[in-house]
Amino acid sequence: MKLLNKTIRSYLVYSSIILLITIPLFYVVVRHVLLRAVDHSLKAQMREIRNNLSSIHSRQELEIWSGLDKDISLYTEPGPAADSIYTLYVANPRHHHDEDPYREIAGTISVNGQFYKLVISSSLVENQDLLGSIMIVQAILLILLMTGILLINHRTSRKIWMPFYSLLNDVQHYDLHKNNELSLKASRISEFNELNQVIKNLLNRNYEIYLQQKEFTENASHEMQTPLAIIQGQLELLMQTVPLTEDQAILISELEASNQRLIRLNKSLLLLTRIENNEYAPAGPADIAVIVEAQLDSFQDHLEKRKIKRIEKLEARPVVQTNISLMEILISNLVSNGIRHNIQEGILLVETGPDFLTISNTCADKALDAQKVFNRFYKESSDTASTGLGLAIVKRICDMYGFQLSYTFDDHMHSFTVKFEH
Amino acid sequence: MKILIIEDQKELLKSMVGYLESENYLCETAADFQSARQKIEGFDYDCILLDVTLPGGNGLALLAELKKDKKADGVIIISAKDSISDRILGLNLGADDYLVKPFHLSELNARISAVIRRRYFGGQNQLKFQDLVIDLLAKTVSVNGKPVDLTRKEYELLLYLASNKNKVVSKMAIAEHLSGDSAEIFDNFDFIYTHMKNLKKKLGLAGYQDNIRSLYAIGYKFEV
Repeated sequence: MKLLNKTIRSYLVYSSIILLITIPLFYVVVRHVLLRAVDHSLKAQMREIRNNLSSIHSRQELEIWSGLDKDISLYTEPGPAADSIYTLYVANPRHHHDEDPYREIAGTISVNGQFYKLVISSSLVENQDLLGSIMIVQAILLILLMTGILLINHRTSRKIWMPFYSLLNDVQHYDLHKNNELSLKASRISEFNELNQVIKNLLNRNYEIYLQQKEFTENASHEMQTPLAIIQGQLELLMQTVPLTEDQAILISELEASNQRLIRLNKSLLLLTRIENNEYAPAGPADIAVIVEAQLDSFQDHLEKRKIKRIEKLEARPVVQTNISLMEILISNLVSNGIRHNIQEGILLVETGPDFLTISNTCADKALDAQKVFNRFYKESSDTASTGLGLAIVKRICDMYGFQLSYTFDDHMHSFTVKFEH
Repeated sequence: MKILIIEDQKELLKSMVGYLESENYLCETAADFQSARQKIEGFDYDCILLDVTLPGGNGLALLAELKKDKKADGVIIISAKDSISDRILGLNLGADDYLVKPFHLSELNARISAVIRRRYFGGQNQLKFQDLVIDLLAKTVSVNGKPVDLTRKEYELLLYLASNKNKVVSKMAIAEHLSGDSAEIFDNFDFIYTHMKNLKKKLGLAGYQDNIRSLYAIGYKFEV
């Protein structure tokens, strides 16, 4: 749930509850007040009539008087009874289905010793109309008020949380490899300023550690180059010594192989740090198909040796803006990968599309772990010739130029696809 | 042939001197910028091996001075930097070749002989071993005047071994020489055997007594 929705939701719930409770409550209260006012007036009328009874002396006079007011009815009554007030529903003479409410007061009066029941009635129809109007006005007012409050609250919340969202956006787009500066707008709200500062410090610390690590790898690789070169040289001198027995020859050969592996590993590490240091100029357009052909040719010996069938589908000739040396390394790594993990008399399939390159190879084993396959030193086989850095380098180059690199496994074929469009 | 090796790493310097002296080169050494400059100014060399990062200065500055003085010494840069731009920079300054550390001594030796041949043997650029003649310009091989049809790889292989004659050349050095960077990725050097087998067969058919000796697990030796 979004932060803004969260605060507004509480307001909305509260408003709805208030609205739902107040409207019926208001209705009941107003109705009660109006009814009391009617009752009051009826009682007052009754009192008035009783006070003025002294001026009426005969039954005729009483009937004439009561006939003057259609709200007053007169009935003969055997004896005195207490006053009563009640609501009566009378069928509407025009609309037979409707019943109009009336409030009536009934009381006994005596004229010349004779008791009469006097009923005064008052229509409640107008009161009901009034009540209806009041309710409508009340409801409109309440709804206006609530929506107004909600809107204002939404706007102010958005404004208040703006620095937070801009910070969130910045942090989302932060890339440790590039260490792009966060804009971090200053806010009038001190908590946000603090948050900005804390995140800035955190990222700076991370970046420093990252730099140190990178520098360490770089220095370590550089420092290792010389001793590796010395070992290489001395081994070659050792080979020339006479006499050279077979045992010695095998030992020297194994030493040289291990040393070569170290040299290779070291070169790969150096290459990775160089890519991370952006030491490769952005360069120009690279014709992928041309590079693929050249790389496949350079591996021809290895392909022939293992009788691997090379299938090229290079009709589409994507041209990509990138550094050509890095693209050569990328393709070379994928091709050598496809040869190394291939089977005898297997297939190496290279396919280009308008915006992609796919290199697939047959294999004896099962699918690789797609999550880990691009990690450094991830090895599925125990092949000692593999540095475990080849695919990590490919991934890093793809990241650098915004290419999408993916791995799929289908029908005993490993496939690596580079999508050039973002 | 006189060679100046400018390199600040003593052990590396020692192994280079050891290998090249056994090839009958006369080696002089310099381990820093100043002594290198004095030697370059004072003497002429057939080939100079130049390290780029030196105590006291940049090796490329020495190269620039050398070219300014119009000296004809051949120069091979040996550097830890392997990027294309570094190579181009070095070659543009007038170096004859660029070799990335760490390298095989046999590779270094082959490059030195190539540089020296280019400088001194002008038109008649041939290597002769009894009946065997390698024509370096036409890139052809003949035995007793009869041409031997070799593939490019077989020719490269023969030339590499011949450049390191009487030396044990390791399979790894051959693999790297023949297939460049792509050799690095495999520990499998089987493809060399195929080329070697074909080369020996072709030379044998042409009537050349085979003098390429296989040495246990290590590699091969071209014996003269």
